Order: sequence, then C-alpha cells, then structure tokens
Amino acid sequence: MAIDRAHVGYSLPAFTVEATPERIAKFRAAIGETGGDVRVAPPTFMKMVEGEHNSSRRILDTLAVDLRRVLHAEQQFDYVSPILAGDQLDVVRKVSDIYERKNGLMEFIVIESTISHAERGLLGRSRQVVLVRNPKPAVAA
Amino acid sequence: MNDMNTVLAEYETGPITREMLAQYAEASGDTNPLHLDPAFAQKAGFADVIVHGMLSMALLGRLLSSRFANRALLKFDARFAAILPVNTSLRCRARLADVAEGQPDDGHLRLALEAIDPAGTVIITGSAELAAAL
Repeated sequence: MAIDRAHVGYSLPAFTVEATPERIAKFRAAIGETGGDVRVAPPTFMKMVEGEHNSSRRILDTLAVDLRRVLHAEQQFDYVSPILAGDQLDVVRKVSDIYERKNGLMEFIVIESTISHAERGLLGRSRQVVLVRNPKPAVAA
Repeated sequence: MNDMNTVLAEYETGPITREMLAQYAEASGDTNPLHLDPAFAQKAGFADVIVHGMLSMALLGRLLSSRFANRALLKFDARFAAILPVNTSLRCRARLADVAEGQPDDGHLRLALEAIDPAGTVIITGSAELAAAL
C-alpha cells in the first residue's frame, strides 16, 4: 500500500528533552564509549533526543506504515554546537519527503529534525531516510 | 595521491550480542522489536534479530571520538548498505577522504568511514567532516 504523499510536510508538535548526565552516561555505556568528555553527548546522541516520546513510532503510525517492513536506510547529522549534560533541548521533527523506487516496491520516507537550545540556538540537525519494503502486488485477475 | 585513502583509525567491535541490543534499546529509546524479539524479526523476513543501524553507526562513531574532540565534529553521515545479524562483529575503519577537485581548502578534515562484517560485506559506508587537523 502506497504511503499517502499528503503526509509530506507533516510535523510532530515540538517537544522538549533534557540531556541529563545520566542519559548521556547510559548512552555512552550502551555504545561502549569510554574516552572523551563525559559532559559532551556522543555524536549519535541526537538520535536518542529526537526519538524521545516514541516520536519515530508516532510518525510511522501517522503514515500508516507497517513496522515489520521498515529499515533505516540513511542517517545524516550536522553539528552546530555540542549537546552538553543538563541541556534542555527543543526538538522539531517533520516528514520532508516521500519517494519510491522499483515501481513502488521500495518507498522512502525522509524525516528531518532540528535540535535547539533556548540560549545557544540551533545545536544540530538530523536527517533520516526510512526504507519501507512493500510486498509485490498481487497479479490482477 | 600520497596521503589519499590512508587508514587513520581502525578497530574490531567484537560480536554485537543480544545484551548489547537490549542495552542500546534501553539507552536510546529505540525499542523496535526487530532488534529485540526473534519472532517479530522472523515475521519481518529475517532469521533472527538484527543490529540497530544506529548502534552500528555509534560504534563507527567511536573512531571519531577516540581521536578527536566531539566539539570538532561538523558532519557525520551513514548509509546502511546491508543488515547485520545479531552476534556478528564489525570492523570499523576511517580513511582520509579524497579531496574533490576544485574544492576550496577550508581546513576541514574529511574522512571516509566503513563498517564491514567478517565475511567482507559492507554494512555501512559513511563520511565525516571535522574542524580539526591530523
């Protein structure tokens, strides 16, 4: 089933996430990070921030995508200023594009996020491409 | 072309276990059952659970944080080229990237990144840009 292209531009209500020292420590432990400054979030921590409140699942649910057909195809991060322990982060996520390949067997959803801080402004951007593997259409009778 | 493609950093992750997937799910909030529940993974067409692309990317990212301050990082991109089954190890490698013809010298360091499974399958190709010197 094709994803309704009307969802391009769909945005979740903005939400706030606190990058507590505990969350950064837990994330570092989960990825085996032992070096560096423990008060600075690791490079892929933005994914944890933008995923708060089950936001990725909510976007896919809105687009009526079957979770079993979903794979993460691409991920890009742009860094403006580091996320530091204790930061209150404002997150905005939106569906910026939906396109297909192979006659609709593969559909791609592009989700872009911005992560900002009230005083320091934009800290980073995330761009994710989700692959939806559609079943081959039944042959028309 | 002397310095091109020089391997800058490299390491082997060791097998990425179910426990690591559970710990990453808990820390990241990505509780997609594809990474946790073998029955669900089978319904999705896989033999067993697969590793979060974002965990593999994070393990690849350790090449960057092992050598440079996180503050120096400007861009970090990954393309997930193949799925990685649980209990598989990744070899993560960073090379100096080719500088594109006519590209202005902005002093940034550009790296080509890859994560490869023991059979030689490329799991991730990526790149990074840093405001740093070697």
